[in-house]
Amino acid sequence: MNPTALHDVVPHIRLDGLTVVYEKPRDGGSFVAVANACLDVERGTFVTIVGPSGCGKSSLLLAIAGLIRPAKGRVLVNGRPVSGPGRDRAMVFQDFALLPWRTVLENVRFGLELQSGWKLAYPMDASTGAVAGNSGARGWKSRNREDLNERALRYVRLVGLNGFEHYHPQQLSGGMKQKAGIARALAVDPEILLMDEPFGSLDAQAREAMGNELLAIWEQDKKTALFVTHSIDEAIFLGDRVVVMEKDPGHITETISIHLPRPRTVEMLDSEAYIEHRRRIRAHLMGELQHQRALALPHD
Amino acid sequence: MTKVTNITIGRLRFSKRALVSTLSVSIFLLVWEAAPRLHLVDPFYTSQPSRIAAASVEIIRSAVFLRDVSVSLLEFASGFSLALVAGVPIGLLLGAFPMLRYLLDPPVMAIYATPELALLPIIVVWLGIGMESKIAVVFVAAVIPILVNSIAGVREVDRSLVLAARSFCARRRDIFAKVILPSSLPAVMIGIRLGLSRAVLGVVVAEMYVSQAGVGNEIMRYGSAFRIDYLLFYVLLVSAFGFAGTTVMRKLEERLGW
Repeated sequence: MNPTALHDVVPHIRLDGLTVVYEKPRDGGSFVAVANACLDVERGTFVTIVGPSGCGKSSLLLAIAGLIRPAKGRVLVNGRPVSGPGRDRAMVFQDFALLPWRTVLENVRFGLELQSGWKLAYPMDASTGAVAGNSGARGWKSRNREDLNERALRYVRLVGLNGFEHYHPQQLSGGMKQKAGIARALAVDPEILLMDEPFGSLDAQAREAMGNELLAIWEQDKKTALFVTHSIDEAIFLGDRVVVMEKDPGHITETISIHLPRPRTVEMLDSEAYIEHRRRIRAHLMGELQHQRALALPHD
Repeated sequence: MTKVTNITIGRLRFSKRALVSTLSVSIFLLVWEAAPRLHLVDPFYTSQPSRIAAASVEIIRSAVFLRDVSVSLLEFASGFSLALVAGVPIGLLLGAFPMLRYLLDPPVMAIYATPELALLPIIVVWLGIGMESKIAVVFVAAVIPILVNSIAGVREVDRSLVLAARSFCARRRDIFAKVILPSSLPAVMIGIRLGLSRAVLGVVVAEMYVSQAGVGNEIMRYGSAFRIDYLLFYVLLVSAFGFAGTTVMRKLEERLGW
């Protein structure tokens, strides 16, 4: 089948009744983290997922990454069910998950190293689109390593960490650590970028700056992006669509399309449309909360 | 963190710590040397730095010295390398596979809780009074901290690093080689350092218990002959060796650590 035709008819990511259940080892019980989530994500869109802690937004992302197995339902990527991690998806973690014994460059190379074993048509030269050949078996390994370094370096520069290639994570600020995390994910050239509260441990200023930089990078090739956050502002500012989730059990209550032009600017934070989106999302989250309180009252 | 300040004397700069430590050692040696001369203590019991120096010259010139040292070193080196070769890989395996750990945890913990010197009589019954029994004691003494720390090193690997590796489609052996192994290296190094000092202790005490040669044998022999100066020379020799070994390990930890 012609791949472009496939892309036109099938959403890039489809959640089909996704249910994630965690077993509790203590009492043998189970905890429903995500219940019956359905969602279509179109290719090249930036979708943000917002909700309170414990609403299953991270579990949803981990299921799409193939890192946890759904109890029920399916995750489809390009129409094919996800059975595990894949080279088409890369993830950015809230706690950065950088290897402390590796430098920035070596950390960015980490994903490339892990995937280089089976990435044979590699590396693709972005400027020419040509596949650089690994001529001859002799010295293949060192040659390959060099290519990985070059490629990692390109992504270090892309996120603006040039000059810090040889620093270790513990020498960097939170924002810079996450830049390295983003570079590591982008370096394997995934179709889908999964970000699990990537700015969750940053201070407010760093958060805003990182949001802007992330959008600038994303605008370059518009990969499909899923971004989990508990900040309503971040969700609206970054997203084409905002998925609102609630807890007990974690479920999707609503998806809202954000009608703000791109590139997004800080001035938009004061626009009518922005304030209206924010009011609506907050009403959703508050409404759910009041609903839950009403349910909880008789038991008190 | 302690703040290290420097003291300047003329053109020389010393760190406060080095200066004070040197001072304390010098005062101790001075008092030790002076006390018997002033008839404050009996040198028969305390000996003196000058007597130990004289004894050391005599011992080092003697033919048995080289034999004793080489016997002890060989026992130490054999037992300790066996402990390294067995302890590190088995520890890493036990850390990685819970089922294996459940299986081997009771015996390992039993030996961990037992002072291995209490096992010495059995080991001598099994292996005799030659080098084999000393090598066995050193092995048991050193392998336990190496094993326990290697297991802990693997178990304390940051789960999010493993998750990150998996998200990049890492194979099991890649997760082991690129995440678990480097991550547990500092704990393994600490285990090796602790094992080293226990191995030194093991050699000396095992030789003191029953042996035909070695540094511990000499310490025991001079002890029963009331030759405190000769005895103390060997004690200092063991201390210096243990200190040197531990220092080398610390430097290695700093170099390899992250």
